[in-house]
Amino acid sequence: MIPFELAEPRSLKGALKLLDTEDPAVRAFGGCTALMLMMKTGVFQPACLVSLRGVEKKHARVARTRGGLTIGALATLSALEQSAAVRKAAPVITRTLRTLSNVRVRNVATLGGHLAHADPHMDLPPVLIALGAELTAVSLAGERRLAVQDLFTGYYETALAKNELISEVHVPAQDGRRSAYVKCTTRTADDWPTLGIAVALKTDGALIEDARVVVSAATEKPLRMAQAEAVLRGATVTDAVLARAGEAAAAEAELIGDARGSAAYKRELLRVYAARAVKQALAGGGH
Amino acid sequence: MTTHRTIEFTLNGRPVSAQVGNHHNLVEVLQDQGLFGARESCAQGLCGCCTVIVDGKAVSGCLTLAPLIDGADVRTVEEPRGEHGLDAVQQAFIETGAFQCGFCTPGFVLMTRQLLDAHPNPSDDEIRHYLSGNLCRCATYPEVIKAVHLAANKRKTAGKD
Repeated sequence: MIPFELAEPRSLKGALKLLDTEDPAVRAFGGCTALMLMMKTGVFQPACLVSLRGVEKKHARVARTRGGLTIGALATLSALEQSAAVRKAAPVITRTLRTLSNVRVRNVATLGGHLAHADPHMDLPPVLIALGAELTAVSLAGERRLAVQDLFTGYYETALAKNELISEVHVPAQDGRRSAYVKCTTRTADDWPTLGIAVALKTDGALIEDARVVVSAATEKPLRMAQAEAVLRGATVTDAVLARAGEAAAAEAELIGDARGSAAYKRELLRVYAARAVKQALAGGGH
Repeated sequence: MTTHRTIEFTLNGRPVSAQVGNHHNLVEVLQDQGLFGARESCAQGLCGCCTVIVDGKAVSGCLTLAPLIDGADVRTVEEPRGEHGLDAVQQAFIETGAFQCGFCTPGFVLMTRQLLDAHPNPSDDEIRHYLSGNLCRCATYPEVIKAVHLAANKRKTAGKD
């Protein structure tokens, strides 16, 4: 890695001032795990890094709000994993974190960084999209709120402006929706996924009133599968319905291959894992 | 601002000061201090060979920027523990033969201590999940699981050391 300057502002406003530049070699980090990998491989060569670790503690707070959650962007993934509020409001997040990278990475990586990095293999983006989560982005000009699903615009690309930071993530009350995230890893249990799929279902007995189905790790960004959702919406779950939902997802997703599987392989996985995710959500209880 | 700085931190209980580049990582800092227990192996935070305990939490030394440990409490496998310099976890790894070449062992020992602090009586499933980010190329995983159970028992009978 090449030498660079490091700024350690004590406030979010101070960080935003440092980031208010057109220079693409100035970047912020939370835990610096993902950025370290990019710097080590030379993909990113910084002139100046802005550490967010010293800003006000409130930006790492996890709180229950009206049955949902408000999570400060600097909350570490470990803090989320151990949070009773998260387990109560959205236990699918707690379950997902168990195999999200490893303990050491979770101890330092932050939710904001996890989202802003926008690698489509990340585990929480599809889960947060399925849960209908939103985020607050701040800049010196003010703040705006957008759906997590609208954050991602492409591989490593987000809707955030150069001078914007994610400050909070908002998970709405789930009102009995049942959710699951399943992933297929081809090396270790905590490996980067070959395919990730999150579902959130609103059910009335065996009837699925509404469904959100989100695919990740096999597409250039986490994406909702509108056709698969349409198959599930208003249906009573049978093996035939699950098979049709899997077929629909496999047909509509624009899949891309990577080191962990070809596009053709991922298409077969998607066909199978879509049904598994729905089954797991239905079996998983109230959330 | 400059690209290098002096940092001060506590290393295995003793205060130290070091000249570091902002782009250096914690493993390099430790090597400059003459400590080689934390090794950079995969360089991606996946293998656990570079595990270091910073302010009570396990981190990957290879992913930790040196300037960020300014003021921190840093502990490595070299920290003397127990009566003969070895704690219950190290004793258990020796008694069960939970290594062959030993390259990954410092990371496994440090992670096992963290695991047992959080879960004094872990199930096989908890052990596998907690240590999933530690790779042993000699594949001593079955012995590692035995070692963790043995260490848990040793801690219970002797009291945590």
